[in-house]
Amino acid sequence: MADFFAGVDIGSTMTKVAIMDGGIVASVIGPTGPEHRKLANRVMEEALAKAGLSFNEITYVVATGYGRINVPFADKQITEISCHARGIDSLLPAARTVIDIGGQDSKGIKLKDGRVVDFVMNDKCAAGTGRYLEVIAEALGVALDEIGQRSLEAKSEVAISSTCTVFAEQEVVSKLAEGVPVEDLLAGIHKAIATRVYGMVNRLKIEREVAITGGGAKNIGLVKALEAKLGFQVLVPPEPLLTGAIGAALLGRDMVEEAAQSGLSLTRSERRLHEATFFS
Amino acid sequence: MVHVAGVDIGAAFSKVVVFDGNKVISYYIAPSSGSYKDTAEKVVAEALAKAGLSAGDIAFTMATGYGAANVATRDGVASNISCQGRGASYLFPSVRTVIDVGGQLTKVLKLDDEGRVRAFLQSERCAAGSGKVLQVIARVLQVDLEEIGALSLKSRKRIDFNTGCAVFAETEAVSRVAEGAVKEDILAGLHRALAAKIQTLVERVRLEPDCALVGGGARDIGLVKSIEEIMGLKLLVPEEPRIVAALGAALIAEEKVASTMKINIG
Repeated sequence: MADFFAGVDIGSTMTKVAIMDGGIVASVIGPTGPEHRKLANRVMEEALAKAGLSFNEITYVVATGYGRINVPFADKQITEISCHARGIDSLLPAARTVIDIGGQDSKGIKLKDGRVVDFVMNDKCAAGTGRYLEVIAEALGVALDEIGQRSLEAKSEVAISSTCTVFAEQEVVSKLAEGVPVEDLLAGIHKAIATRVYGMVNRLKIEREVAITGGGAKNIGLVKALEAKLGFQVLVPPEPLLTGAIGAALLGRDMVEEAAQSGLSLTRSERRLHEATFFS
Repeated sequence: MVHVAGVDIGAAFSKVVVFDGNKVISYYIAPSSGSYKDTAEKVVAEALAKAGLSAGDIAFTMATGYGAANVATRDGVASNISCQGRGASYLFPSVRTVIDVGGQLTKVLKLDDEGRVRAFLQSERCAAGSGKVLQVIARVLQVDLEEIGALSLKSRKRIDFNTGCAVFAETEAVSRVAEGAVKEDILAGLHRALAAKIQTLVERVRLEPDCALVGGGARDIGLVKSIEEIMGLKLLVPEEPRIVAALGAALIAEEKVASTMKINIG
């Protein structure tokens, strides 16, 4: 009988669920919004429906991410650093350095033998996070999922002198009014965010292979800008937003297997999914 | 009577002070538009008009600030820091520490007894550590920037921000409003947050009394009070805090003229 494991990753911007056995059985990705408690139940129900499973068939649930304390049916909460590391270790085992660019933070993680040996994070300043790109995209009137591709169409690059998101926004708006092409501005912006992220991750002494994950990894302009800074190509998982949820599910499986081997039993959450829904 | 002019062309605002050796005759402040050259011309013309003087009446024009090189009529250029120090020291002879809260960054100056700058530190170009964050939140709360200070003082229960970033603070402010928070309480939290950042900066140079607050941020009574509260001191605040560097430039200009005259007279 197959065992199913679930990982729930509630990020500041996006929520991700992965249900796994040997591989991914079902996954859900959606915007987090303000209401976390109901959200966790809703995405879990959605994922179960996609998987054709009932909640009782899930052996173990691990929650991670900024909103992990608001997953009442989780058996365990584990930090995003550990979950991302575990996820990349499974998806891209050659990676020694992970760069995660999320909606409101960015992280660098060093791996050795699949374990986290060092990490660095910025969750204080919007520059270097997805928020930076969101603000600029809005200011330039380009859809967020198009800015990366458009940035690659630049004819010449514009240097953005401001690190701060607020001043960078001012700068691009003023340059746009002067007639600088949007593509050129976007190229400058992607270079600016790549520089900032690279500067942070470089404190860890970057080792190949480097994997990029998180929402930022879906931006081809950002990936290319990071490659330009690094001087080599990077690895990107097929669905970068799911790395944390996949890692969480796998960590759940690791714990269950370890417990089975040592003859111990694992504590599971007492509240089941349907009870949790009543509470919310 | 010798007249001099100090012209401070900042990234956001341009300021001119006309000085007669004894007192400020006139001053003028305007936003720095795209062309610093045009702005410089305009603000100088306006200040002269207010003083009832013509360009020929000015013995020396000292330029300072980011756009100093754009002042066509300049006779010399002085560093903005030295101008700030001179100006603050003239207004408040007892001042030894000057905090300048501008629209893009905050500076701290330590002065000696003569008003010369001994030490200087400036913040990163970070919206949350400058007057910029006041603009951002004022806009989000739909309150006039000129009024946020006074309004913040009406707060009965300050709501502190969890973030130190202006971008995230904007989101937080919107959430607080959606939850029913009143503007004065959010503004109290805003002023407190900026005051805390300023305090961190000042601590790095070790504050020496007396301490003056200058720049656009000094016009915000809420910020003045927040800094006084968090740092446990009384601040010296000029009547027009934005013209301190321009005044300092004028004073340095006056010194130049005086020493030239001495040489000429023998």
